[in-house]
Amino acid sequence: MSLFGRAVLLLALGLAVYALVMALASRRPGRRAWQLSAERGVYGVAVFTTLAMIGMWIAFITDDFSLRNVAEYTSTTLPLEYKLTAVWGSQAGSLLLWMWIFGIFAAVAVYLNRHRNRELMPVVVATLMAVAIFFLLLLSFVTSPFETLAVIPEEGRGLNPQLQNFYMQIHPPTLYLGYVGLSIPFAFAIAALVTRRLDTAWITSIRRWTIFSWLFLGIGILLGAKWAYETLGWGGYWAWDPVENAAFMPWLVATAFLHSVMVQERRGMLKIWNMVLVVLTFVLCLFGTFLTRSGIIQSVHAFGESTLGPFFLGFIVLVAAVSFGLIISRLDALRSQNSLESYISREAVFLFNNLLLLALAFAVFWGTMFPVLTETVQGERIVVGQGFYNQVAAPIGIALLVLTGVGPLIPWRKASPAQLRRRFVAPVAITAIAAVPLLLLTDLSQHWVAGLTILAGVFVAACVLGEFWRGANVRHAVGGVSWPGAVVSMIGRNRRRYGGYIVHLGIVVLFIGFAGSKGFATEADRVIPRGGSAEVAGYTFVNLGSERTVTPHVTTTGVRLDVLSDGGRVTTMTPGIQQFTVDDVRGSKVAIDSSIRRDLYVVLTRIEPGGEAMVSIYVNPLVLWLWIAGFIITAGGIVAAWPARALPRAATAAEPAGTARAT
Amino acid sequence: MSSTTLAILVLCAAGLLIAVAVAWPLLLREDPTAALRADREALAADRTRDVEEALERSLAAIREIDTDHRAGNLSDEDFAALDRAERARAAELLRQRDAAAGG
Repeated sequence: MSLFGRAVLLLALGLAVYALVMALASRRPGRRAWQLSAERGVYGVAVFTTLAMIGMWIAFITDDFSLRNVAEYTSTTLPLEYKLTAVWGSQAGSLLLWMWIFGIFAAVAVYLNRHRNRELMPVVVATLMAVAIFFLLLLSFVTSPFETLAVIPEEGRGLNPQLQNFYMQIHPPTLYLGYVGLSIPFAFAIAALVTRRLDTAWITSIRRWTIFSWLFLGIGILLGAKWAYETLGWGGYWAWDPVENAAFMPWLVATAFLHSVMVQERRGMLKIWNMVLVVLTFVLCLFGTFLTRSGIIQSVHAFGESTLGPFFLGFIVLVAAVSFGLIISRLDALRSQNSLESYISREAVFLFNNLLLLALAFAVFWGTMFPVLTETVQGERIVVGQGFYNQVAAPIGIALLVLTGVGPLIPWRKASPAQLRRRFVAPVAITAIAAVPLLLLTDLSQHWVAGLTILAGVFVAACVLGEFWRGANVRHAVGGVSWPGAVVSMIGRNRRRYGGYIVHLGIVVLFIGFAGSKGFATEADRVIPRGGSAEVAGYTFVNLGSERTVTPHVTTTGVRLDVLSDGGRVTTMTPGIQQFTVDDVRGSKVAIDSSIRRDLYVVLTRIEPGGEAMVSIYVNPLVLWLWIAGFIITAGGIVAAWPARALPRAATAAEPAGTARAT
Repeated sequence: MSSTTLAILVLCAAGLLIAVAVAWPLLLREDPTAALRADREALAADRTRDVEEALERSLAAIREIDTDHRAGNLSDEDFAALDRAERARAAELLRQRDAAAGG
């Protein structure tokens, strides 16, 4: 398998070099055949990387311990579902996954544009293949997933117990769909800069790619949070860990781009800014991949020490230098067609939103890199605590949340003060009315961040739902359709706008989840004897005794806890300690009982032979809403990216036969 | 058949098929004049498509401005200014599209 894997990766590398050269050569008129050959080279790269991935999977399924990657990340007792996903548990395996997804995406992008963008596509192909060459060089010569061992062990070392979780199975591929997907907008941006075709054509070609990638990056981050919550056993889901930050930064910048690109489409403004954002997003994707693999940061999510750091750093510097050099050389062609007429306009709100998102991205970058900088300069690693991030992120986050509601209500170009008063009177009144019971009947007034977040959420929900109400009202009156029909028709006529509003509602729900779980969580460590009980935040936990389950792969010792509240039984929870057969590794099996009001989260830290259990108990309000928000945001993203019905096209003499529409 | 033999066979078959597929467009030896004409046609089609997509966006913007006005999001004065500007843009794009269609 080693020979096969190495051979297909080398073939992919050779083909990527061929496709790059042919694509650049095909820019000259009359060389469509060269371009076609280069495009088929891209398909070939996808086929070879797919074969490499299949080869890796076969090696894992068949326990081929002659490969280092297999021997170190699986064992004969590991269930098949984990063997399939253990492939990306290693440094080299995850790079192979990156490259495989990249190969497929590059092929899909080329296929969708096979009859369009004659000027852009050669440069798009060349850019994509340049990225592919970098990764294939790493996979072939620096960290091969098909590296063999001199002595073949009889049993593998098994997969880290923390990675044996459903969310860790799907979190890396989902995150990579986002990371890798954002390379397509980058390739089109470079092509637009090189060819000086800086109108909105390149933006049209990448709009759905950007939404798709942004969505998957966001879902990937949420799945990572869910994994951390279920597996790490500290009661939280987000700790501003460097690797979490590494994914969060490009997501923030991509969010800024999704908004500012609308200003370019509508008003011909922010062309330079948009180019900078696309490049920055891709550079941050590479930077995130670098952070996880270089060994320069310490994180539960990171791979160990490796030799990849300098290669990634060199590539990032090269990408940034070429891209920003191109932007500077095209400044004359990137000038805006219009200027900002008023600070009370939608484009101004988008600009503020962009500045806040970039400020937050910079703060996260600073906090992430500060330990590295201090170690370099002072020789001592000073780690930035969660307090720094929370202090910076809370006000910026609340301001961004408010803009989420303000933006849709302000028209393009400029808004009159009278118009503003009319639009905002209802949302402000609803927020004020909601504030009274929220501040008087709950603890919100003592937690100003959580309080402001929830009130901002109410304001935004009122703004966005008001937009739905007014839009549906117009459709109902004009179209003469039923109310449900009016809502469907309204969304169908402007999917991008209303899809965006659904995403905004999801963001409100997400922030309410943050406010509840960060502001009102209760944490307690208790020792509960067998038959005894302990009380935490109004819940009584009764120790019913221990139980033990044994499988060939893992032995779990758990304690059954009856949970009572207000005299009634709420649920039975069984937190446990797991002992894995291979390597005798220990892990925690966290017990979680979720409801829309709160999560009960119990970790068993120790159990005595007599049945006495030491447990950490957390009562985390509103956590479920974070995951619900993920579904709402996904639904909104799908609506926004869904293709609109095209206009009937004018018959054009220039249209070559066999062309098709695709974006 | 051993797994090694099977792997070599798969490798050779995939390599051969991809090599033929990649080289095929170059082996067809297209007439240079026809190739240049096809290129020009492709560029013209791209330009037309760009205009059509810009027109679609412009017409969508007109609908959106109208909906915003009816919904009360835009004053009569703001609506008139925005609508006039967007309709002028759409008219220009329509002219460009019709000119391209006329040949």
